[in-house]
Amino acid sequence: MKLFPEDLLYSREHVWVRVDGYMATIGITDFAQESLGEILSVEFTDIDDYVERDEPFGSIESAKAVVDLISPVSGTVISINEDINDDIGIINSDPHDTGWLIVVEMDDLEQLDDLLVASAYHDFISQEMHGV
Amino acid sequence: MAWRLIQYGVHSIFESMAIDEAIFLHTIKNNASPTLRFYSTSPEAVSLGYFQDAGKEINLEKCQQEGVDVVRRITGGKAVFHFQEITYCVTAASGEPMFPKNIAGTYNIISACLARGLGYLGIEAFLAEGKRKAADGDFESFCFASPSQNELLVEGRKICGSAQMRKHGGFLQHGSLLTSFDAQKTASLLLPDCGKEKAATIKKSVTALDEHLKESLATSEICAILKKGFADQLGIELKEGRLTAEEEKLKNILIKKYVSTEWNMKIISMFRPDFNQEENK
Repeated sequence: MKLFPEDLLYSREHVWVRVDGYMATIGITDFAQESLGEILSVEFTDIDDYVERDEPFGSIESAKAVVDLISPVSGTVISINEDINDDIGIINSDPHDTGWLIVVEMDDLEQLDDLLVASAYHDFISQEMHGV
Repeated sequence: MAWRLIQYGVHSIFESMAIDEAIFLHTIKNNASPTLRFYSTSPEAVSLGYFQDAGKEINLEKCQQEGVDVVRRITGGKAVFHFQEITYCVTAASGEPMFPKNIAGTYNIISACLARGLGYLGIEAFLAEGKRKAADGDFESFCFASPSQNELLVEGRKICGSAQMRKHGGFLQHGSLLTSFDAQKTASLLLPDCGKEKAATIKKSVTALDEHLKESLATSEICAILKKGFADQLGIELKEGRLTAEEEKLKNILIKKYVSTEWNMKIISMFRPDFNQEENK
């Protein structure tokens, strides 16, 4: 059973966003972590870097693949989850909470309008899975 | 449906990595049909997974002493010694209907194509059903020591190691199919501290085509049969083609990355070529 917390917004690139004012905490979804399998490595852009919506803010490696992490919003990276350095497994075990990846200070809240609420993301995944 | 086939050739590892990435970038930019490519590598070379550290995970000094090229791939996975092997590369854009949008499903389909081709060679190959642990922790950085799910085994031993990269909904997957296997030489390059015992241990988990083929075949003949495996398994036509002018231009830009110490020693991690970048910049 996949988790779709209702307090999050979701991108079609399987990244979630938790919004607090102009601050967006970003991570990968439960669906993404399950698809990737055991995550082995992750790398991010640096703090204070500017990330563009729909552009990579880092890469993640599971057992046999490298996948870009695509930012759902534009803004400045103000925090990176240092706990991942100690235990990368939290991305798999707790993707929506302690396994968060970065925090971005957004400069355009209207970009959030393009993201999906939990039920719409659930439908999106269902279509993707049944479309193949 | 038609795919493009880039005919078998022998290249340096730097050129081949640049060609593979150029094809991928061109494919996703133009939403082009998938491409299948086969190649071998000369001079001998070691390729590292994107996240691997050359200074820690292979015997870099030995590689340098032996004149073995070392390159870091854009795909994941572990170290591969490109010697007596055929590398395949498949690239596809987002929305390619015959491939699912997930890693394992893509592996599964490509492995089935390779297995079909191996079947035409008289070799029965099976997909590994689950991740198997390497026989020894020392071998963790060596690709062939640890088959992943949906990779190919012959008589329980790994014959082909593959790695994948996904961007913009598309993917590049390349893999190494061993035509012969020199355990001692491989172990001496890929394991920082290698003795004969370790080489013998590796040999138990790895196999190669020459152990199973009833007759000796030229590499180009093997590739022609593998091509038929892809065509029949997927129900596609494979049309021989060449790199486009844009791909050639990109290759010439990207090869500078792959020969650079900065890229190969992970001093830089991001390198995103501009499609409009001039060749001589």
